[in-house]
Amino acid sequence: MSEILAYVHKDGFFHRLHPVTKIIFIIGISAVCIISTNLVFLLGLVLALLAIAYLSDLYTEVVSQSRLIVMMSLVFIVITLLTIPGGDLIGYLIPAGVPLIGNSIPLTWGALGIGLILSLRFMILIYAFQLFLISTQPRDLVHTMERMRIPIDYTLMFIIALRFIPTLQIEGKRIHEAQLARGYNPGTGIMGKIRSVAPIVIPLVSNALSRANVLGLTIDIRGYRTGKRTRLREFPVRGRDYLVSSLVIVFGCFYGAAVFFQLL
Amino acid sequence: MIELERISYTYPHTVKTALNHLSFSLKKGQCIMVTGPSGAGKTTLCLAAAGILHHEYGGKKEGRITIEGKDVASYGSLSEIARKIGIVFDDAEAQMIFTTVEEEILSALEHRGLDAGVIEERLESVMAMTHITELKDRSPHKLSGGQKQRVALAATLALGNEVLILDEPTSELDEHSTRRIAEILRDLKRQGRTILLIEHKFAHFRDIVDTIIVMEEGKISASGNPPDVLGDDRIRKIVVPDFSGIGKRSGTPELAHEEARLPAVTVTNLSYSYGDIPALSQINLTIHSGEFVAIVGENGSGKTTLVKQFNNLLTPTEGDVVILGKNTKQYSITDLSRDVGLVFQNPDHMFFADTVRDEVAFGLKNIGMPDDENIIDSALLDAGLAHSKDLYPRWLSRGERQRLAIACVVAMRPEILVLDEPTTGLDGNEALQVIAILRDLQRKGHTIIIITHNREIADHCADRIVRMENGKIIEILSAEVS
Repeated sequence: MSEILAYVHKDGFFHRLHPVTKIIFIIGISAVCIISTNLVFLLGLVLALLAIAYLSDLYTEVVSQSRLIVMMSLVFIVITLLTIPGGDLIGYLIPAGVPLIGNSIPLTWGALGIGLILSLRFMILIYAFQLFLISTQPRDLVHTMERMRIPIDYTLMFIIALRFIPTLQIEGKRIHEAQLARGYNPGTGIMGKIRSVAPIVIPLVSNALSRANVLGLTIDIRGYRTGKRTRLREFPVRGRDYLVSSLVIVFGCFYGAAVFFQLL
Repeated sequence: MIELERISYTYPHTVKTALNHLSFSLKKGQCIMVTGPSGAGKTTLCLAAAGILHHEYGGKKEGRITIEGKDVASYGSLSEIARKIGIVFDDAEAQMIFTTVEEEILSALEHRGLDAGVIEERLESVMAMTHITELKDRSPHKLSGGQKQRVALAATLALGNEVLILDEPTSELDEHSTRRIAEILRDLKRQGRTILLIEHKFAHFRDIVDTIIVMEEGKISASGNPPDVLGDDRIRKIVVPDFSGIGKRSGTPELAHEEARLPAVTVTNLSYSYGDIPALSQINLTIHSGEFVAIVGENGSGKTTLVKQFNNLLTPTEGDVVILGKNTKQYSITDLSRDVGLVFQNPDHMFFADTVRDEVAFGLKNIGMPDDENIIDSALLDAGLAHSKDLYPRWLSRGERQRLAIACVVAMRPEILVLDEPTTGLDGNEALQVIAILRDLQRKGHTIIIITHNREIADHCADRIVRMENGKIIEILSAEVS
């Protein structure tokens, strides 16, 4: 089973970058994709991220969640089409032939464009964060956040939230199987998902909460919150980090300036 | 090292005292094993001895606890006490914070104010001692229960404390993993560490335990060196549960009658793979109606994968599974759940209703059976839970929750009952109770199939024992009928 956002132990290019470089990369990519409204450019960014994933030996992991991303994108497009009319008319959702309500709910090219832009931005953000999280060991992330002077409690909260995603995923599957074995058949589709909420989410949340006590004690006992730490095996900053960071910053600034002065 | 003097404790918002005037002292280099039924206060005792009760819990406390001669209340924080005492909890998963084994242990070491060289050295030695060096790049949550518990132990040992408190470290583990933990503790004892061990499995730790303390209802009912304590018959039954009394069904079933009926389960040339990883290969097995079969084998031998084929949670990659004449490939899980009731290892994976009654009724509704009080009552009666009908399922004890899981499935009246590790995590008496219920259900005509690590249960209760290894059945033993 593919695990969402769990660290993958590999030694690709992205793994070898310093966490700070990766954070600069994410901020750069996010900023550029938010200011851009150019469909071709955004599509280019998606492909570029997939290419980076491929070159960093992380392609399979990054595309493993694509089904969910495509589903969400479709939802975005449908919602914008129905709610934000603008630009040339494509047609009406309810054809003219239908009595009384015919020719209502217009669908426009403008809305389709906005929907596509939102979807592509969503894809870029998810892929970029995924690349970052699956290639960075939580320990390095803790060190980096500590250097960025983020309070240790917030860092731990962030790390634990990430760490529990795969655990909840596996536990959710077990609970699902246990309920299926009791003859439970929530059905498929959205209604099935809604019906399956109580028998699956309640045990999942209750079990997670009962685990929180031991987790909290473990954190205290191991002294994570004392903030005093022997520095060892810290991630070195190398030439490639300066190179990647500079590239991202220069590219971001140029693109920002170009958009600002309406050159693009 | 640790001294408890007339300790009493009541948890916040409760009236029942969890610890009642309890005194004992743990001396340097000593190993004390605390045992007793669930709910006796053993975990609370652990929390008290580790100073956790005083620093993290509210509630009513009386008496005095000293750690290395200093009153527990005079320590500034739990982190300060944690420099003297290491504690390992029973839930290994909850003690894993990072994503590789090495990272988990290294992160614990980094916060001890040690030099980098010392840390590297200790990291290596602790991993070697707990036999996890080869797992260092693996993700903790993908390890087996035994491996996880060894990682949790290593992360605690890395802190280098003189005193080690372990709260049921082997409760969820199989024979082999329990033996490995016992070996590690033996080495630690030899090195002069002081150990407070909460355990049910005395036999595995017999040679390291200096003093045994038996707790019942928050009090110490016996303590002393093991031979003296076990001399008392009543106490011995608490410490070492005896499954021989359960006995097998009396007399062989009428053969003619048995042959006339369909076999409950017929597995023919079954193979199954998870993606590219083969999990079962060429399994052939027939289980007759009314039989009590135990499936045994180490973790990862394919036991759970096999029983999941019985109700189509997994569909054979090759071969067939026929349940009471129905080929599982042609039926849905819901259809098969009328014939096969599957109870998983952790009962907490199924409870979501507000009352025990509703929890049982859920299964009935799923298969379209009437939500009949008589059916629910009789299932609860079979499971010894007749008086708990209106309680919230998660408030029940671990043993009661296991029995409720069985009741939920029994109410659906399946002919075949499959239970994955029904006694894991239970104390001796609770395990005996569960087994007695299963024997009773067999007498009523159910076919019982259990997966178990407990060789004694398999030997004493099952008509046949199926031994699995690496996805194959390596032997089927017919037990003698007593």
